[in-house]
Amino acid sequence: MSREPSFLWSNSTSEGRLTGTWRTASPDYRNLPSPCLGACPVNGRIATWIGQVTKGDYHGAWTTLVDNNPFPSIAGRICHHPCETACNRVEHDEAVSICALERYVGDQALEENWQYPKPETMHDQSVAIVGGGPAGLSAAYQLARRGFRVSIYESQAQLGGLLRYGIPSYRLDKSILDAEIARIVNLGVTVHLNTSIADKGGLEALRAEHDAVFLATGATKSKVLPGLDYSQPWVRDGAKFLAQTNAGEACDLGRHLVVIGGGSAGIDVARTARRLGRDVTVLALEPDDLLPAQRTEVVEAREEGIRFVCGAMMQKVDAGADGLTINCVEVAFTPGAARGQFTIAPVDGSAFTLAADAIIPSIGQDADLKKYGDLLDSAGPVIAHDENWQTSSPGIFAGGDLTSMDRFVTEAIGMGKEAAMAIARFVDPEQPAFVKPSDPAVPFKVINTAYHSADGRESPAHVAVEQRLQSFGEVQQRFTKAAAEIEAKRCFSCGTCIYCDNCYFYCPDMAITKLDQGYEVKLDYCKGCGLCVAECPTGAINMAEDLGR
Amino acid sequence: MEKIEYEEKGQLYSGHVACAGCAEALSLRVVLNTVGQDAVGVVAPSCLAVICGAHPTSSVKIPVFHTTIESCAATASGVKRALDKQGKSQTTVLGLAGDGGTYDIGLQSLSSAAERNEDILYVCFDNEGYMNTGGQKSSSTPEKAVTGSTPAGKTTRKKNMIDILAAHRIPYIATASPSHINDMVAKVEKAKAIRGTKVLVILVPCLPGWGIGDNAMVKTSRLAVESGVFPLFEVEDGTRYIMNHTTKTQPVAEYVKLQKRYKHLSEDDIAGLQAEVDYDWDRLHRRVAQN
Ligand SMILES: Cc1cc2nc3c(=O)[nH]c(=O)nc-3n(C[C@H](O)[C@H](O)[C@H](O)COP(=O)(O)OP(=O)(O)OC[C@H]3O[C@@H](n4cnc5c(N)ncnc54)[C@H](O)[C@@H]3O)c2cc1C
Ligand SMILES: Cc1ncc(C[n+]2csc(CCOP(=O)(O)OP(=O)(O)O)c2C)c(N)n1
Ligand code: SF4
Ligand code: SF4
Ligand code: SF4
Ligand SMILES: [Mg+2]
Repeated sequence: MSREPSFLWSNSTSEGRLTGTWRTASPDYRNLPSPCLGACPVNGRIATWIGQVTKGDYHGAWTTLVDNNPFPSIAGRICHHPCETACNRVEHDEAVSICALERYVGDQALEENWQYPKPETMHDQSVAIVGGGPAGLSAAYQLARRGFRVSIYESQAQLGGLLRYGIPSYRLDKSILDAEIARIVNLGVTVHLNTSIADKGGLEALRAEHDAVFLATGATKSKVLPGLDYSQPWVRDGAKFLAQTNAGEACDLGRHLVVIGGGSAGIDVARTARRLGRDVTVLALEPDDLLPAQRTEVVEAREEGIRFVCGAMMQKVDAGADGLTINCVEVAFTPGAARGQFTIAPVDGSAFTLAADAIIPSIGQDADLKKYGDLLDSAGPVIAHDENWQTSSPGIFAGGDLTSMDRFVTEAIGMGKEAAMAIARFVDPEQPAFVKPSDPAVPFKVINTAYHSADGRESPAHVAVEQRLQSFGEVQQRFTKAAAEIEAKRCFSCGTCIYCDNCYFYCPDMAITKLDQGYEVKLDYCKGCGLCVAECPTGAINMAEDLGR
Repeated sequence: MEKIEYEEKGQLYSGHVACAGCAEALSLRVVLNTVGQDAVGVVAPSCLAVICGAHPTSSVKIPVFHTTIESCAATASGVKRALDKQGKSQTTVLGLAGDGGTYDIGLQSLSSAAERNEDILYVCFDNEGYMNTGGQKSSSTPEKAVTGSTPAGKTTRKKNMIDILAAHRIPYIATASPSHINDMVAKVEKAKAIRGTKVLVILVPCLPGWGIGDNAMVKTSRLAVESGVFPLFEVEDGTRYIMNHTTKTQPVAEYVKLQKRYKHLSEDDIAGLQAEVDYDWDRLHRRVAQN
């Protein structure tokens, strides 16, 4: 049949009509930070690595994780996980079990013995790191992988800081700690153990020897409880108790122990003592619901038979022939504006006594501000630093518990990372600067929940109480593979494209082109309806005003 | 999350003049790409005619014939028979019509074609009104909905077109929604493989006609499915009922609250609609149980 030109037949496609001129707004593909990323102290790219887990790419997930944190197995066990508090999924059903997933990936890496690639280029500059806790090790890792020469000076016989001498094995097995530290040292870090940089002269000498110094000596001074005579054999400082028991030394204290302090450290002391067969009571100023320890720690401690006396304080101790009588009084507790601040008022007529064989005060640690004389300025209870983590002494940087009251492992790791990047730039101005994510986090309301069922979260198994008290074995278990897979799929992937093609398929105008990795809007045809954005399950596209054409 | 899966073969061109965010255009895209190039379309006057056409351009890759609103099914039957005579019996003939052209003006020709079991795939793009002419009511307009010709809300129920078609005992009838693209694709594929009269009724929320936002048609049609207002199901040979979305998880109130055409409804009105939806839902499930 011939196709003569005829008014009856169409002679061209509609593609000559540029309907993009109708538009006042157009979709903008831009991965935006998830709320978990902003809350994470190491700025972990959580949506990205969980996405890699959903694809079964565990090595990829681990690589993403260790970009910001060389301790995923450790953080996956003991991080205070502010990411989960911030998780958008909270508004849908429950937060994603980010922390337990991180452990799953971290443990996989240890099982498979994945190691860090050696740096591509080496630099001549050398950096001294004083203190081999999480802050110092994180900085050492970030500098070593960038090819800088790193020497760690650690006063103890082994690296790890409070990860080794503070946190007990039932929460963090030492084999995990050893393996994640060894991986960093394998990058070619020089380690000087039993080497204290203990005074101004020592620090100055170190500064002269290296192109920069990072100080991360932690908060080494135990706060002292007024009215308690620390010279008595029945008083043992909590930090010392933990250091001894963590090192495997026998406990020489009696049967009935009273631990003073309801923070994480106090609970660790109590649970350690319990595992050593002691009867334990925790005495805390705060009422039960305001105990500074993480809730799970308090719950697990109670499960293990630890008694809590909350909202009360010790006033005086009477030592008798058959033990101690601790005179206490109830207090009205008012929390202050900042973490750790409070006021208390004893309640009249509420006096009571506790019987004990020994007392373990565990009420917190202070940074030693005097150690280096006038070399370093302080800011309140910590060492002062500028936005680049540099102290008042040029070329000496500081981070971790020494410089901050945010006393958490991942905070220390994050500070170590940021300081390392600043140090790298200090010794080599061509190094890139650390950039904090500045875009606002993707809010829950842009997540299209039609694509996400609400089944609640998976939780890793916990060892039964009877078994727990038999040993120092870890209480919290690793996710099963099945649970990890289910849990990873729960992540909304807030702000990070998962290449689901919804935007592509929901455009009534065929105005989206698929690229090798990603998508492009054909502005010639996009009418700006916003369906692609509305049907995006992750919030990875947004409508932006567009008066262009 | 279930991934949308079909091959985009470029069967609908950009540059068509459907409203921004149009459900009808999107559904047409899915239908045409699933049917493929070996097809001829017969289009009744409707928004579809505007989307496919705007003479002398065409937005569709397959040849389409623009017929009268009364005669879509009849024309499709004729085209199919002519193709058969030419030895092209594998070619799919698509009837493409609106609800006005299906429930009202073209009902006679569709009924005749169905009675003769003509080998056509008839797709009704049901936007519940004469939308191309400015939004008047059709017999598909649901009870209480405001249209240009029912300013106080329609007083009668939406005609049950599926029941009418089932009475013809044609081999395949199905409902579909742009919120459930994989389901729509599966139904088009299934229908394409069947000989005889197949009818697909797709709910296509009309943005100006229903008073919803430019980005809201998927959400609205999803709620229609999830509230049971527009159940997704199939009828084989007029007797066997198959549910494709088996749960009713949203109240009708959630569905109507998105739409300006229902803005005037009182709580009692909504309760009344809910009762009807519940009744129809149970009736449908009884039929499924009787299979
Ligand atoms: C009992 C306990 C339990 C805790 N549990 C948790 C928890 O579950 N989760 C959490 O997030 N945080 C927890 N924390 C807090 C966390 O451990 C610290 O915030 C973190 O370890 C601080 O890291 P850092 O590197 O700054 O200091 P540290 O870990 O204290 O490391 C400092 C290192 O410097 C060394 N050093 C000190 N002085 C010198 C010197 N002069 N020369 C050379 N080396 C020196 C020390 O030996 C040590 O190795 C806990 C703390 C305690 C005490
Ligand atoms: C017999 C006849 N009456 C009226 C018209 C005018 N007309 C053209 S399109 C249309 C609306 C059709 O409504 P529907 O079939 O529901 O399609 P929609 O526009 O809603 O997509 C009407 C009434 C016509 N073409 N033929
Ligand atoms: S859903 Fe996933 S990406 Fe979103 S906040 Fe939670 S963990 Fe982060
Ligand atoms: S769905 Fe298509 S037309 Fe609508 S805003 Fe997105 S790209 Fe533009
Ligand atoms: S709809 Fe899917 S493919 Fe498109 S931007 Fe969102 S996540 Fe990416
Ligand atoms: Mg219509």
